[in-house]
Amino acid sequence: MSRPVRLDGLVAGYERDLPIVKGVDFAVAAGEFVGIFGPNGAGKSTLVKAVAGAAATFGGAAFLGDTLLTGLPAHKVLGAGLAFVPQTENIFATLSIAENLQIAAEVLPRAARAARIGAMHAMFPDLARAPHRPAGSLSGGQRQMLAVARALIVSPDAIILDEPSAGLSPRLAHDVFTTLARINAAGTTIILVEQNVRAALAVVSRGIILVDGRVRLDAPAADLAARDDLGALFLGTAAAAA
Amino acid sequence: MNPQVFVDGIVAGSMIGLGAIGLTLVYSILRFPNFAHGELVTAGAYFALSLAALIGAAVGGTAPIGPFSFGWAIVLAALGAMVATAALALALDAVLFQRLRRRGAAVIIIVMASFGASLALRSGIEFVYTASPAYFTRELQIAMRLPGGLRVTPDQLAALALTAVLVVAVHLFVTRTAAGRAMRAVRENPALAALAGIDVDRTIRLVWVLGAALACAAGITAGLLIQIRPTMGFDLLLPLFAAAILGGVGSLPGAVVGGLVVGLGEALTVAFLGAEWRAGAAFMLLVAILVVRPNGLFGRAGG
Ligand SMILES: Nc1ncnc2c1ncn2[C@@H]1O[C@H](COP(=O)(O)OP(=O)(O)OP(=O)(O)O)[C@@H](O)[C@H]1O
Ligand SMILES: [Mg+2]
Repeated sequence: MSRPVRLDGLVAGYERDLPIVKGVDFAVAAGEFVGIFGPNGAGKSTLVKAVAGAAATFGGAAFLGDTLLTGLPAHKVLGAGLAFVPQTENIFATLSIAENLQIAAEVLPRAARAARIGAMHAMFPDLARAPHRPAGSLSGGQRQMLAVARALIVSPDAIILDEPSAGLSPRLAHDVFTTLARINAAGTTIILVEQNVRAALAVVSRGIILVDGRVRLDAPAADLAARDDLGALFLGTAAAAA
Repeated sequence: MNPQVFVDGIVAGSMIGLGAIGLTLVYSILRFPNFAHGELVTAGAYFALSLAALIGAAVGGTAPIGPFSFGWAIVLAALGAMVATAALALALDAVLFQRLRRRGAAVIIIVMASFGASLALRSGIEFVYTASPAYFTRELQIAMRLPGGLRVTPDQLAALALTAVLVVAVHLFVTRTAAGRAMRAVRENPALAALAGIDVDRTIRLVWVLGAALACAAGITAGLLIQIRPTMGFDLLLPLFAAAILGGVGSLPGAVVGGLVVGLGEALTVAFLGAEWRAGAAFMLLVAILVVRPNGLFGRAGG
Protein backbone atom coordinates (compact mmCIF):
# COMPACT_ATOMS: atom_id res chain seq x y z
CA MET A 1 0.00 0.00 0.00
CA SER A 2 1.14 3.51 -0.58
CA ARG A 3 -0.04 6.79 0.87
CA PRO A 4 0.47 10.47 0.08
CA VAL A 5 2.60 12.81 2.19
CA ARG A 6 1.50 16.38 2.76
CA LEU A 7 3.22 19.31 4.46
CA ASP A 8 1.14 22.29 5.58
CA GLY A 9 3.15 25.39 6.43
CA LEU A 10 5.80 23.37 8.24
CA VAL A 11 8.08 25.44 10.49
CA ALA A 12 10.88 23.45 12.11
CA GLY A 13 14.39 23.64 13.53
CA TYR A 14 16.39 23.23 16.69
CA GLU A 15 15.48 26.42 18.56
CA ARG A 16 12.04 27.93 18.55
CA ASP A 17 13.20 31.47 17.89
CA LEU A 18 15.54 30.38 15.09
CA PRO A 19 13.54 28.22 12.68
CA ILE A 20 15.54 26.55 9.91
CA VAL A 21 12.50 25.46 7.89
CA LYS A 22 10.41 28.57 7.49
CA GLY A 23 7.00 27.48 6.27
CA VAL A 24 7.01 24.73 3.69
CA ASP A 25 3.96 23.45 1.79
CA PHE A 26 3.95 20.60 -0.66
CA ALA A 27 2.11 17.39 -1.36
CA VAL A 28 3.53 14.13 -2.65
CA ALA A 29 0.92 11.86 -4.19
CA ALA A 30 0.62 8.20 -3.28
CA GLY A 31 3.21 6.29 -5.27
CA GLU A 32 5.01 9.45 -6.43
CA PHE A 33 8.83 9.76 -6.38
CA VAL A 34 9.92 13.30 -5.49
CA GLY A 35 13.37 14.80 -5.10
CA ILE A 36 14.27 17.60 -2.69
CA PHE A 37 17.31 19.61 -3.73
CA GLY A 38 19.04 22.72 -2.54
CA PRO A 39 22.34 24.18 -1.40
CA ASN A 40 24.18 23.03 1.72
CA GLY A 41 22.50 24.37 4.82
CA ALA A 42 19.19 25.04 3.04
CA GLY A 43 17.39 23.00 5.67
CA LYS A 44 16.70 19.85 3.63
CA SER A 45 17.78 17.49 6.39
CA THR A 46 15.98 19.52 9.03
CA LEU A 47 12.81 19.42 6.95
CA VAL A 48 12.76 15.65 6.55
CA LYS A 49 13.87 15.08 10.14
CA ALA A 50 10.93 17.18 11.32
CA VAL A 51 8.54 15.10 9.20
CA ALA A 52 9.98 11.91 10.72
CA GLY A 53 9.83 13.26 14.28
CA ALA A 54 13.59 13.62 14.70
CA ALA A 55 13.62 17.44 14.73
CA ALA A 56 11.21 19.83 16.45
CA THR A 57 8.20 21.21 14.58
CA PHE A 58 7.24 24.73 15.69
CA GLY A 59 4.35 25.34 13.33
CA GLY A 60 2.28 23.71 10.62
CA ALA A 61 1.89 19.98 10.23
CA ALA A 62 2.91 16.91 8.24
CA PHE A 63 0.52 14.13 7.25
CA LEU A 64 0.91 10.60 5.93
CA GLY A 65 -2.43 10.01 4.25
CA ASP A 66 -4.90 11.03 6.96
CA THR A 67 -2.45 10.36 9.79
CA LEU A 68 -1.04 13.42 11.51
CA LEU A 69 2.69 12.79 11.90
CA THR A 70 3.49 16.02 13.71
CA GLY A 71 3.54 15.50 17.47
CA LEU A 72 3.83 11.73 17.14
CA PRO A 73 6.75 10.40 19.24
CA ALA A 74 9.64 9.53 16.91
CA HIS A 75 9.41 5.80 17.67
CA LYS A 76 5.77 5.68 16.54
CA VAL A 77 6.43 7.15 13.09
CA LEU A 78 7.80 3.92 11.63
CA GLY A 79 4.81 1.96 12.88
CA ALA A 80 2.52 4.62 11.38
CA GLY A 81 3.93 3.74 7.96
CA LEU A 82 6.68 6.28 7.31
CA ALA A 83 10.28 5.08 7.18
CA PHE A 84 13.17 7.52 7.33
CA VAL A 85 16.82 6.97 6.46
CA PRO A 86 18.90 9.78 7.99
CA GLN A 87 21.84 11.39 6.20
CA THR A 88 24.50 10.23 8.68
CA GLU A 89 24.81 7.52 11.31
CA ASN A 90 21.96 5.60 9.76
CA ILE A 91 22.94 2.10 10.93
CA PHE A 92 23.87 0.62 14.30
CA ALA A 93 27.56 -0.04 13.71
CA THR A 94 28.11 -1.93 16.98
CA LEU A 95 25.20 -4.29 16.35
CA SER A 96 25.34 -7.15 13.90
CA ILE A 97 23.88 -6.86 10.43
CA ALA A 98 21.14 -9.30 11.43
CA GLU A 99 20.33 -7.29 14.55
CA ASN A 100 20.00 -4.09 12.53
CA LEU A 101 17.31 -5.77 10.47
CA GLN A 102 15.67 -7.46 13.46
CA ILE A 103 15.23 -4.15 15.26
CA ALA A 104 13.18 -2.66 12.45
CA ALA A 105 11.29 -5.93 11.93
CA GLU A 106 10.21 -5.75 15.56
CA VAL A 107 7.53 -3.26 14.48
CA LEU A 108 5.87 -6.05 12.45
CA PRO A 109 3.70 -8.87 13.78
CA ARG A 110 5.89 -11.73 14.95
CA ALA A 111 4.78 -14.11 12.21
CA ALA A 112 5.68 -11.67 9.43
CA ARG A 113 9.24 -10.87 10.51
CA ALA A 114 11.26 -13.74 9.06
CA ALA A 115 9.66 -13.37 5.65
CA ARG A 116 10.44 -9.64 5.49
CA ILE A 117 14.04 -10.19 6.57
CA GLY A 118 14.25 -12.85 3.85
CA ALA A 119 12.86 -10.38 1.33
CA MET A 120 15.60 -7.88 2.27
CA HIS A 121 18.25 -10.56 1.89
CA ALA A 122 16.89 -11.29 -1.57
CA MET A 123 16.99 -7.59 -2.49
CA PHE A 124 20.44 -6.97 -0.97
CA PRO A 125 22.40 -10.25 -1.12
CA ASP A 126 25.45 -8.61 0.52
CA LEU A 127 23.48 -8.39 3.76
CA ALA A 128 22.86 -12.14 3.84
CA ARG A 129 26.51 -13.05 3.44
CA ALA A 130 27.78 -12.61 7.01
CA PRO A 131 24.74 -11.59 9.07
CA HIS A 132 26.50 -11.91 12.42
CA ARG A 133 29.34 -9.53 11.67
CA PRO A 134 29.09 -6.04 13.15
CA ALA A 135 27.38 -3.65 10.75
CA GLY A 136 30.35 -1.31 11.25
CA SER A 137 32.44 -3.73 9.20
CA LEU A 138 30.38 -3.05 6.05
CA SER A 139 31.64 -0.85 3.24
CA GLY A 140 30.06 2.55 2.62
CA GLY A 141 27.80 1.24 -0.12
CA GLN A 142 26.79 -1.81 1.89
CA ARG A 143 25.98 0.43 4.85
CA GLN A 144 23.59 2.46 2.70
CA MET A 145 22.04 -0.81 1.54
CA LEU A 146 21.57 -1.84 5.16
CA ALA A 147 20.07 1.54 6.05
CA VAL A 148 17.65 1.29 3.13
CA ALA A 149 16.83 -2.32 3.99
CA ARG A 150 16.17 -1.32 7.60
CA ALA A 151 13.65 1.21 6.35
CA LEU A 152 12.04 -1.06 3.76
CA ILE A 153 11.62 -4.06 6.00
CA VAL A 154 8.33 -2.78 7.41
CA SER A 155 6.89 -2.32 3.90
CA PRO A 156 6.34 1.37 4.59
CA ASP A 157 3.64 3.41 2.86
CA ALA A 158 6.20 6.13 2.26
CA ILE A 159 9.95 6.34 2.67
CA ILE A 160 12.16 9.41 3.04
CA LEU A 161 15.88 9.12 2.32
CA ASP A 162 18.40 11.84 3.14
CA GLU A 163 21.31 11.70 0.67
CA PRO A 164 21.62 7.90 0.42
CA SER A 165 24.27 8.34 -2.30
CA ALA A 166 26.58 10.50 -0.18
CA GLY A 167 30.11 9.17 -0.23
CA LEU A 168 29.36 6.49 -2.79
CA SER A 169 31.12 6.03 -6.13
CA PRO A 170 29.01 7.13 -9.13
CA ARG A 171 28.46 3.45 -9.89
CA LEU A 172 27.18 2.63 -6.42
CA ALA A 173 25.10 5.81 -6.35
CA HIS A 174 23.55 4.67 -9.61
CA ASP A 175 22.79 1.29 -8.00
CA VAL A 176 21.07 3.01 -5.09
CA PHE A 177 18.94 5.13 -7.43
CA THR A 178 18.02 2.07 -9.51
CA THR A 179 16.99 0.23 -6.36
CA LEU A 180 14.86 3.19 -5.27
CA ALA A 181 13.21 3.36 -8.70
CA ARG A 182 12.38 -0.33 -8.37
CA ILE A 183 10.90 0.16 -4.89
CA ASN A 184 8.88 3.10 -6.18
CA ALA A 185 7.66 1.09 -9.15
CA ALA A 186 6.36 -1.45 -6.63
CA GLY A 187 4.13 1.33 -5.28
CA THR A 188 5.97 3.01 -2.38
CA THR A 189 5.87 6.81 -2.11
CA ILE A 190 9.45 8.11 -2.01
CA ILE A 191 10.93 11.44 -0.99
CA LEU A 192 14.63 11.64 -1.81
CA VAL A 193 16.92 14.43 -0.60
CA GLU A 194 19.94 14.66 -2.89
CA GLN A 195 23.04 16.71 -3.69
CA ASN A 196 23.54 14.58 -6.74
CA VAL A 197 20.86 16.52 -8.62
CA ARG A 198 21.52 15.40 -12.18
CA ALA A 199 21.60 11.72 -11.29
CA ALA A 200 18.51 12.01 -9.11
CA LEU A 201 16.52 13.86 -11.79
CA ALA A 202 16.84 10.74 -13.92
CA VAL A 203 14.72 8.74 -11.46
CA VAL A 204 12.37 11.19 -9.71
CA SER A 205 9.25 12.51 -11.37
CA ARG A 206 9.28 15.88 -9.65
CA GLY A 207 11.83 18.10 -7.96
CA ILE A 208 11.41 20.57 -5.12
CA ILE A 209 14.16 23.11 -4.64
CA LEU A 210 14.60 24.34 -1.11
CA VAL A 211 16.60 27.51 -0.48
CA ASP A 212 16.99 29.05 2.99
CA GLY A 213 14.16 27.01 4.48
CA ARG A 214 11.59 27.84 1.80
CA VAL A 215 10.39 26.15 -1.38
CA ARG A 216 11.94 28.08 -4.22
CA LEU A 217 10.74 25.92 -7.08
CA ASP A 218 8.50 22.87 -7.44
CA ALA A 219 8.58 21.48 -10.96
CA PRO A 220 8.46 18.24 -12.98
CA ALA A 221 11.84 16.52 -13.21
CA ALA A 222 11.94 16.89 -16.98
CA ASP A 223 11.58 20.67 -16.72
CA LEU A 224 14.35 20.88 -14.12
CA ALA A 225 16.62 18.61 -16.14
CA ALA A 226 16.18 20.87 -19.14
CA ARG A 227 17.33 23.97 -17.27
CA ASP A 228 20.96 24.93 -17.42
CA ASP A 229 20.76 27.44 -14.55
CA LEU A 230 20.21 25.00 -11.68
CA GLY A 231 23.37 26.19 -9.95
CA ALA A 232 22.19 29.78 -10.13
CA LEU A 233 18.76 28.73 -8.87
CA PHE A 234 20.42 27.22 -5.82
CA LEU A 235 22.26 30.46 -5.18
CA GLY A 236 19.07 32.42 -5.62
CA THR A 237 20.50 34.45 -8.48
CA ALA A 238 18.24 33.06 -11.20
CA ALA A 239 14.52 33.73 -11.56
CA ALA A 240 12.46 30.82 -10.29
CA ALA A 241 10.00 30.95 -13.20
CA ALA A 242 10.86 28.46 -15.92
CA MET B 1 51.37 -15.31 52.41
CA ASN B 2 48.07 -16.66 53.62
CA PRO B 3 46.08 -17.86 50.58
CA GLN B 4 42.89 -17.09 52.49
CA VAL B 5 43.39 -13.54 51.18
CA PHE B 6 42.33 -14.73 47.75
CA VAL B 7 39.06 -16.20 48.98
CA ASP B 8 38.19 -13.00 50.80
CA GLY B 9 39.22 -10.90 47.80
CA ILE B 10 37.13 -12.89 45.36
CA VAL B 11 34.08 -12.76 47.61
CA ALA B 12 34.43 -9.00 48.05
CA GLY B 13 35.17 -8.61 44.35
CA SER B 14 32.01 -10.41 43.32
CA MET B 15 29.94 -7.93 45.35
CA ILE B 16 31.79 -5.03 43.76
CA GLY B 17 31.23 -6.59 40.35
CA LEU B 18 27.47 -6.84 40.91
CA GLY B 19 27.29 -3.18 41.83
CA ALA B 20 29.58 -2.13 39.02
CA ILE B 21 27.36 -3.75 36.38
CA GLY B 22 24.53 -1.36 37.21
CA LEU B 23 26.88 1.60 37.27
CA THR B 24 28.40 0.76 33.90
CA LEU B 25 24.98 0.04 32.33
CA VAL B 26 23.59 3.39 33.39
CA TYR B 27 26.78 5.15 32.36
CA SER B 28 26.97 3.64 28.91
CA ILE B 29 23.33 4.34 28.06
CA LEU B 30 22.57 7.59 29.89
CA ARG B 31 26.15 8.87 29.55
CA PHE B 32 26.72 10.01 33.09
CA PRO B 33 28.44 8.46 36.11
CA ASN B 34 25.68 8.06 38.69
CA PHE B 35 27.10 8.89 42.09
CA ALA B 36 23.81 7.88 43.69
CA HIS B 37 24.36 4.29 42.62
CA GLY B 38 25.91 3.49 45.99
CA GLU B 39 22.70 4.53 47.71
CA LEU B 40 20.78 2.05 45.55
CA VAL B 41 23.06 -0.59 47.08
CA THR B 42 22.32 0.71 50.58
CA ALA B 43 18.60 1.12 49.98
CA GLY B 44 18.42 -2.41 48.59
CA ALA B 45 19.92 -3.83 51.77
CA TYR B 46 17.57 -1.85 54.03
CA PHE B 47 14.50 -2.67 51.94
CA ALA B 48 15.39 -6.34 52.33
CA LEU B 49 15.97 -5.88 56.07
CA SER B 50 12.54 -4.30 56.57
CA LEU B 51 10.75 -6.80 54.36
CA ALA B 52 12.46 -9.71 56.09
CA ALA B 53 11.36 -8.32 59.44
CA LEU B 54 7.79 -7.98 58.17
CA ILE B 55 7.73 -11.49 56.75
CA GLY B 56 9.36 -12.86 59.88
CA ALA B 57 6.75 -11.14 62.06
CA ALA B 58 3.92 -12.41 59.86
CA VAL B 59 4.95 -16.08 59.93
CA GLY B 60 6.61 -16.06 63.32
CA GLY B 61 10.19 -16.26 62.08
CA THR B 62 11.82 -18.71 59.67
CA ALA B 63 14.60 -21.15 60.36
CA PRO B 64 17.90 -20.95 58.47
CA ILE B 65 18.04 -22.94 55.23
CA GLY B 66 20.53 -25.81 55.40
CA PRO B 67 24.02 -24.62 56.26
CA PHE B 68 23.25 -20.96 55.51
CA SER B 69 22.68 -18.26 58.08
CA PHE B 70 19.51 -17.00 56.45
CA GLY B 71 15.99 -18.36 56.09
CA TRP B 72 13.27 -18.15 53.47
CA ALA B 73 12.14 -14.82 54.86
CA ILE B 74 15.34 -13.21 53.62
CA VAL B 75 15.16 -14.91 50.22
CA LEU B 76 11.60 -13.64 49.71
CA ALA B 77 12.54 -10.24 51.10
CA ALA B 78 15.43 -10.07 48.63
CA LEU B 79 13.05 -10.47 45.70
CA GLY B 80 10.74 -7.81 47.09
CA ALA B 81 13.68 -5.51 47.80
CA MET B 82 14.83 -5.77 44.18
CA VAL B 83 11.42 -4.57 43.05
CA ALA B 84 11.46 -1.76 45.62
CA THR B 85 14.98 -0.66 44.67
CA ALA B 86 14.01 -0.64 41.00
CA ALA B 87 11.01 1.51 41.90
CA LEU B 88 13.29 3.89 43.80
CA ALA B 89 15.62 4.19 40.78
CA LEU B 90 12.68 4.82 38.45
CA ALA B 91 11.35 7.50 40.80
CA LEU B 92 14.77 9.12 40.98
CA ASP B 93 15.00 9.18 37.19
CA ALA B 94 11.46 10.54 36.80
CA VAL B 95 11.83 13.41 39.26
CA LEU B 96 15.48 14.26 38.62
CA PHE B 97 17.52 12.83 35.78
CA GLN B 98 14.82 12.68 33.11
CA ARG B 99 13.96 16.33 33.62
CA LEU B 100 17.61 17.32 33.25
CA ARG B 101 18.01 15.14 30.12
CA ARG B 102 14.92 16.68 28.53
CA ARG B 103 16.31 20.14 29.20
CA GLY B 104 19.56 19.10 27.55
CA ALA B 105 21.54 19.73 30.74
CA ALA B 106 25.33 19.36 30.61
CA VAL B 107 26.76 16.10 31.94
CA ILE B 108 28.41 17.87 34.87
CA ILE B 109 25.01 19.20 35.99
CA ILE B 110 23.55 15.70 35.93
CA VAL B 111 26.58 14.37 37.82
CA MET B 112 26.15 17.05 40.49
CA ALA B 113 22.45 16.20 40.70
CA SER B 114 23.38 12.56 41.29
CA PHE B 115 25.74 13.72 44.06
CA GLY B 116 22.86 15.60 45.62
CA ALA B 117 20.59 12.60 45.31
CA SER B 118 23.27 10.45 46.93
CA LEU B 119 23.55 12.79 49.88
CA ALA B 120 19.80 13.13 50.30
CA LEU B 121 19.16 9.39 50.10
CA ARG B 122 21.98 8.59 52.51
CA SER B 123 20.70 11.12 55.04
CA GLY B 124 17.14 9.86 54.60
CA ILE B 125 18.22 6.26 55.19
CA GLU B 126 20.22 7.26 58.26
CA PHE B 127 17.23 9.22 59.59
CA VAL B 128 14.93 6.23 59.25
CA TYR B 129 17.28 3.43 60.27
CA THR B 130 19.84 5.31 62.45
CA ALA B 131 23.59 5.13 61.91
CA SER B 132 24.18 1.99 63.94
CA PRO B 133 24.85 -1.15 61.95
CA ALA B 134 22.13 -3.73 61.42
CA TYR B 135 22.30 -7.44 60.61
CA PHE B 136 20.11 -9.81 58.67
CA THR B 137 20.82 -12.59 61.10
CA ARG B 138 22.89 -13.24 64.18
CA GLU B 139 23.42 -16.87 63.27
CA LEU B 140 27.02 -17.94 63.48
CA GLN B 141 28.42 -19.81 60.55
CA ILE B 142 30.86 -22.63 60.62
CA ALA B 143 33.36 -22.18 57.85
CA MET B 144 33.96 -25.08 55.55
CA ARG B 145 37.51 -26.25 55.06
CA LEU B 146 38.77 -26.37 51.52
CA PRO B 147 41.99 -28.03 50.35
CA GLY B 148 45.07 -25.95 51.04
CA GLY B 149 43.83 -24.70 54.38
CA LEU B 150 41.34 -22.31 52.79
CA ARG B 151 38.13 -21.61 54.59
CA VAL B 152 34.89 -20.36 53.21
CA THR B 153 31.46 -19.96 54.78
CA PRO B 154 28.33 -21.32 53.12
CA ASP B 155 27.06 -17.71 52.89
CA GLN B 156 30.16 -16.70 50.98
CA LEU B 157 29.63 -19.55 48.55
CA ALA B 158 25.99 -18.54 48.16
CA ALA B 159 27.11 -14.99 47.39
CA LEU B 160 29.55 -16.21 44.75
CA ALA B 161 26.89 -18.43 43.18
CA LEU B 162 24.34 -15.61 43.18
CA THR B 163 26.84 -13.30 41.48
CA ALA B 164 27.67 -15.88 38.83
CA VAL B 165 24.00 -16.59 38.09
CA LEU B 166 23.05 -12.91 37.92
CA VAL B 167 26.02 -11.99 35.74
CA VAL B 168 25.32 -14.77 33.25
CA ALA B 169 21.60 -13.95 33.25
CA VAL B 170 22.18 -10.25 32.60
CA HIS B 171 24.76 -11.01 29.93
CA LEU B 172 22.35 -13.34 28.12
CA PHE B 173 19.56 -10.81 28.51
CA VAL B 174 21.58 -8.01 26.97
CA THR B 175 23.09 -10.07 24.15
CA ARG B 176 20.22 -12.42 23.25
CA THR B 177 16.85 -10.75 23.81
CA ALA B 178 14.98 -8.09 21.86
CA ALA B 179 14.96 -5.82 24.90
CA GLY B 180 18.72 -6.22 25.29
CA ARG B 181 19.21 -5.48 21.61
CA ALA B 182 17.15 -2.33 22.06
CA MET B 183 19.37 -1.35 24.98
CA ARG B 184 22.49 -1.73 22.84
CA ALA B 185 20.87 0.24 20.02
CA VAL B 186 19.95 3.09 22.38
CA ARG B 187 23.48 3.01 23.76
CA GLU B 188 24.95 3.52 20.31
CA ASN B 189 22.50 6.07 18.93
CA PRO B 190 19.30 7.06 20.75
CA ALA B 191 17.99 9.21 17.88
CA LEU B 192 18.38 6.41 15.35
CA ALA B 193 16.91 3.94 17.83
CA ALA B 194 13.73 6.00 17.97
CA LEU B 195 13.59 6.18 14.17
CA ALA B 196 13.97 2.40 14.10
CA GLY B 197 10.83 2.10 16.24
CA ILE B 198 12.43 1.63 19.67
CA ASP B 199 10.70 3.30 22.61
CA VAL B 200 13.80 4.98 24.05
CA ASP B 201 12.15 6.07 27.31
CA ARG B 202 10.97 2.54 27.99
CA THR B 203 14.45 1.19 27.27
CA ILE B 204 15.95 3.69 29.71
CA ARG B 205 13.50 2.57 32.39
CA LEU B 206 14.58 -1.00 31.78
CA VAL B 207 18.22 0.01 32.29
CA TRP B 208 17.34 1.55 35.67
CA VAL B 209 15.40 -1.53 36.71
CA LEU B 210 18.27 -3.85 35.84
CA GLY B 211 20.94 -1.64 37.39
CA ALA B 212 18.94 -1.12 40.58
CA ALA B 213 18.07 -4.80 40.97
CA LEU B 214 21.76 -5.70 40.71
CA ALA B 215 22.71 -2.92 43.13
CA CYS B 216 20.14 -4.34 45.54
CA ALA B 217 21.64 -7.83 45.17
CA ALA B 218 25.07 -6.39 45.95
CA GLY B 219 23.66 -4.61 49.00
CA ILE B 220 21.97 -7.72 50.35
CA THR B 221 25.12 -9.77 49.80
CA ALA B 222 27.22 -7.19 51.60
CA GLY B 223 24.63 -7.07 54.37
CA LEU B 224 24.73 -10.83 54.80
CA LEU B 225 28.50 -11.16 54.72
CA ILE B 226 29.43 -7.99 56.59
CA GLN B 227 26.76 -5.68 57.97
CA ILE B 228 24.18 -3.09 56.92
CA ARG B 229 25.05 0.58 57.43
CA PRO B 230 23.69 3.79 55.89
CA THR B 231 27.10 4.50 54.35
CA MET B 232 27.76 0.99 53.04
CA GLY B 233 26.94 1.89 49.43
CA PHE B 234 28.72 5.20 49.50
CA ASP B 235 31.84 3.51 50.84
CA LEU B 236 31.57 1.08 47.94
CA LEU B 237 31.37 3.85 45.33
CA LEU B 238 35.08 4.22 44.68
CA PRO B 239 35.63 0.46 44.25
CA LEU B 240 32.55 0.39 41.99
CA PHE B 241 33.93 3.13 39.75
CA ALA B 242 37.38 1.57 39.75
CA ALA B 243 35.85 -1.76 38.69
CA ALA B 244 33.69 -0.22 35.97
CA ILE B 245 36.60 1.74 34.54
CA LEU B 246 39.03 -1.11 34.84
CA GLY B 247 36.71 -3.40 32.90
CA GLY B 248 36.04 -0.82 30.23
CA VAL B 249 33.02 1.38 30.78
CA GLY B 250 29.94 -0.18 29.21
CA SER B 251 31.24 -3.72 29.27
CA LEU B 252 29.26 -6.02 31.55
CA PRO B 253 31.75 -8.88 31.73
CA GLY B 254 34.40 -6.16 32.16
CA ALA B 255 32.63 -4.79 35.23
CA VAL B 256 32.70 -8.21 36.87
CA VAL B 257 36.34 -8.82 36.02
CA GLY B 258 37.12 -5.30 37.22
CA GLY B 259 35.23 -6.03 40.44
CA LEU B 260 37.27 -9.16 41.07
CA VAL B 261 40.53 -7.31 40.41
CA VAL B 262 39.58 -4.50 42.78
CA GLY B 263 38.35 -6.94 45.41
CA LEU B 264 41.58 -8.92 45.24
CA GLY B 265 43.61 -5.71 45.19
CA GLU B 266 41.89 -4.53 48.35
CA ALA B 267 42.34 -7.85 50.10
CA LEU B 268 46.04 -8.00 49.21
CA THR B 269 46.49 -4.41 50.36
CA VAL B 270 44.88 -5.19 53.69
CA ALA B 271 47.06 -8.28 54.07
CA PHE B 272 50.34 -6.59 53.22
CA LEU B 273 49.90 -2.95 54.21
CA GLY B 274 47.15 -3.04 56.80
CA ALA B 275 43.41 -2.37 56.90
CA GLU B 276 43.85 1.40 56.95
CA TRP B 277 45.06 1.22 53.32
CA ARG B 278 41.96 -0.57 52.03
CA ALA B 279 40.24 2.52 50.61
CA GLY B 280 43.54 3.61 49.14
CA ALA B 281 43.81 0.40 47.13
CA ALA B 282 40.78 1.12 44.96
CA PHE B 283 41.89 4.71 44.63
CA MET B 284 45.38 3.76 43.50
CA LEU B 285 44.00 1.23 41.04
CA LEU B 286 41.67 3.95 39.73
CA VAL B 287 44.51 6.42 39.31
CA ALA B 288 46.70 3.81 37.65
CA ILE B 289 43.93 3.02 35.18
CA LEU B 290 43.25 6.67 34.42
CA VAL B 291 46.93 7.19 33.70
CA VAL B 292 46.90 4.36 31.19
CA ARG B 293 43.41 5.11 29.84
CA PRO B 294 42.96 8.84 30.38
CA ASN B 295 39.52 9.05 28.77
CA GLY B 296 38.25 5.98 30.56
CA LEU B 297 35.53 7.55 32.65
CA PHE B 298 34.21 10.49 30.67
CA GLY B 299 35.25 9.35 27.24
CA ARG B 300 32.79 7.79 24.87
CA ALA B 301 31.62 4.41 26.11
CA GLY B 302 33.29 1.52 24.38
CA GLY B 303 32.06 -2.03 23.82
N1 LIG C 1 21.47 19.40 15.32
C1 LIG C 1 21.50 20.70 14.96
N2 LIG C 1 21.44 21.66 15.91
C2 LIG C 1 21.45 22.96 15.57
N3 LIG C 1 21.51 23.43 14.32
C3 LIG C 1 21.56 22.52 13.33
C4 LIG C 1 21.56 21.11 13.61
N4 LIG C 1 21.61 20.46 12.43
C5 LIG C 1 21.64 21.41 11.47
N5 LIG C 1 21.60 22.65 12.00
C6 LIG C 1 21.60 23.91 11.27
O1 LIG C 1 20.47 23.93 10.43
C7 LIG C 1 20.78 24.50 9.19
C8 LIG C 1 20.31 23.61 8.09
O2 LIG C 1 20.96 22.37 8.21
P1 LIG C 1 20.48 21.10 7.39
O3 LIG C 1 21.32 19.97 7.82
O4 LIG C 1 19.01 20.97 7.51
O5 LIG C 1 20.84 21.52 5.91
P2 LIG C 1 20.89 20.63 4.59
O6 LIG C 1 20.10 21.37 3.58
O7 LIG C 1 20.50 19.26 4.88
O8 LIG C 1 22.43 20.72 4.23
P3 LIG C 1 23.38 19.61 3.56
O9 LIG C 1 23.11 19.68 2.09
O10 LIG C 1 24.75 20.10 3.87
O11 LIG C 1 23.06 18.29 4.14
C9 LIG C 1 22.30 24.72 9.18
O12 LIG C 1 22.51 26.12 9.37
C10 LIG C 1 22.80 23.97 10.35
O13 LIG C 1 23.85 24.66 10.96
MG1 LIG D 1 21.45 17.47 4.84
